[in-house]
Amino acid sequence: MLKVSNFHLNLPEFSLKNINLEIKKGEFFALIGPTGSGKSLLLEAIMGIIPSNSDKNRGKIYLHDRDITSLPPEARGLGIVYQDSALFPHLTALQNITFGLKYHKVNMDKARKQLDFLVQKLGIGHLLDRYPPTLSGGEKQRVALARVLILNPQAILLDEPLSALDPAFQEEIRELLKSLHQELKITFVMVSHNFPEVLYLAGSGAIIHQGKIVQQGKIQHIFHHPNSCFVANFVGIKNVFPARINANKAFTNGVEIKLSPESGRQNHNYLSIRPEEIILLSPDRARDNSVDNVFTGYITGISCQGFYFNVFVDVQGVKFQAIWSQKDMADQGLNQGSKVTIGFRSKAVHTFRDKG
Amino acid sequence: MNSVFSGRKKDTFFLLLFLFSIPLILLIILPLGKMVTGPDLVDLARTIKDPQVISALFRSIYTSLAAVLISFVFGTPLAYLLARKSFKGKKIIEGIIDLPIMIPHPVIGIAILGLAARNTIIGQFLQTMGIQIMGTHTGIIAVLTFVGLPFYINTAKAGFEAVPLRLEHVSRSLGARPWQTFYRVTLPLAWRNMVLGMIMCLARAISEFGAVVIVAYHPMTAPVLIYERFTAYGLKYSQPVAVWLIFVSLFLFVLMRFFAREKTS
Repeated sequence: MLKVSNFHLNLPEFSLKNINLEIKKGEFFALIGPTGSGKSLLLEAIMGIIPSNSDKNRGKIYLHDRDITSLPPEARGLGIVYQDSALFPHLTALQNITFGLKYHKVNMDKARKQLDFLVQKLGIGHLLDRYPPTLSGGEKQRVALARVLILNPQAILLDEPLSALDPAFQEEIRELLKSLHQELKITFVMVSHNFPEVLYLAGSGAIIHQGKIVQQGKIQHIFHHPNSCFVANFVGIKNVFPARINANKAFTNGVEIKLSPESGRQNHNYLSIRPEEIILLSPDRARDNSVDNVFTGYITGISCQGFYFNVFVDVQGVKFQAIWSQKDMADQGLNQGSKVTIGFRSKAVHTFRDKG
Repeated sequence: MNSVFSGRKKDTFFLLLFLFSIPLILLIILPLGKMVTGPDLVDLARTIKDPQVISALFRSIYTSLAAVLISFVFGTPLAYLLARKSFKGKKIIEGIIDLPIMIPHPVIGIAILGLAARNTIIGQFLQTMGIQIMGTHTGIIAVLTFVGLPFYINTAKAGFEAVPLRLEHVSRSLGARPWQTFYRVTLPLAWRNMVLGMIMCLARAISEFGAVVIVAYHPMTAPVLIYERFTAYGLKYSQPVAVWLIFVSLFLFVLMRFFAREKTS
């Protein structure tokens, strides 16, 4: 549906290199990357805000097989919602919502029905006569969504739509986006670096780093099966170790780790385990059949993260990082230096080849 | 708003700022106040009935308004271009726009006369079109535009720059073409600055003397008439004309500011 093919964008201060993306109709796609990685730039290039048809740039952008690379933003059939809503401050909420109608030759009866539907769906009936500076962050985002949705764009681009909101509004807009996606089957492309938001909303996505797509696929797959140390670290897999892989075993610093039976690992040189996969075993559960990797080590660090703890466990020189609850810690009376038994499933161990 | 002197503790820093501001305010108020209160009401009444004074005042107003209009029509696209686009030579163009502020104003008059002289291509072109610069309203408007334009362009440019680019992007994404975006988004948000720019341009034009006196001693604008009466008859005869020029200017500026406030509130 939305396809970016061999796309290069060269700007004086930054460039996007050989971007290839394929986003299916009705998909919720996330573009994830650290600050300054080029994800918002890519979004704006797809929108046509940054002209991409100069001699310095190459590649194509297709929407439903229509080449839109050279089209101005108003002719692309896409909509965009920014983190700060970007509502026109001199217009009321209603004037903001209906701003684009006159340029789309919309049937007014149809538009009125659509407006009524959106007003009800987004719960903005009481806001229509108000000006943007008097609206809360969540209300602004609802109006901004209505402004885009009323035009029925073929895809909606979301530039960190929740990042400028208070936590309460974040949850509200997140639920709204989920429900809009499920009910209206709209194609969303969302830029974000908030993992809970991405995991909750997106079905698939891509990681962008220094202007390049470094991994793409199903979101769950990316978060559990990174293809490089950068992705592993970026998606929060704290346990990334260089390893020698031999059949269904991996060796890291002399520690033998059992792997699930899988082929194609011959040239892999790293293993990763998500910290939440590492469980604390009580001495009587040390022979638990559900975990086939069991180790004894010593706690070298505890970092309180509010409702949970990041715990660092040294196993023969390999420093594992786990996330445990306050109850886990209290039940066993754990402190720095405590001896602990940890375990994880062989299925939780992912191996990959890092070329860097 | 907090008064400078309010609160239990006096804010020494703001008190100092206030004390340093007083001499400047006095510098403006004292001479002007003395001048405004100088002529008696009879003199003022007699002066405003003088056809030469009325003619000079009106000439100052409409030539200045014409300069403002020209600055608005031609300066707005340039101000927007400078606010939104980066291109080679942009700094040079910005420097050129600021030139009329820096160079002595008689030089501007001489430069315009030089350009429109009969032995230049432009001068010959103007002649074939029947346009005279020396001693005409056209000449006055030309120099007033020259001196007032930088004030309009710089203020309008600042207004355009203050409109977030993102709003224009959103407008385009909603289907508006660039000119429609300018009309529906940028213009309503930068309007106040544009009016402010026009006020500054008008202020500069209405008070211009140095360049005008070179290009057109006659027909006389108000500042030239004030100068002429001062050199020919002395302070007593020039002061009432100056007071009327101040009153008329003040009325115009207050009106424009009020108009701008009404529109943007």
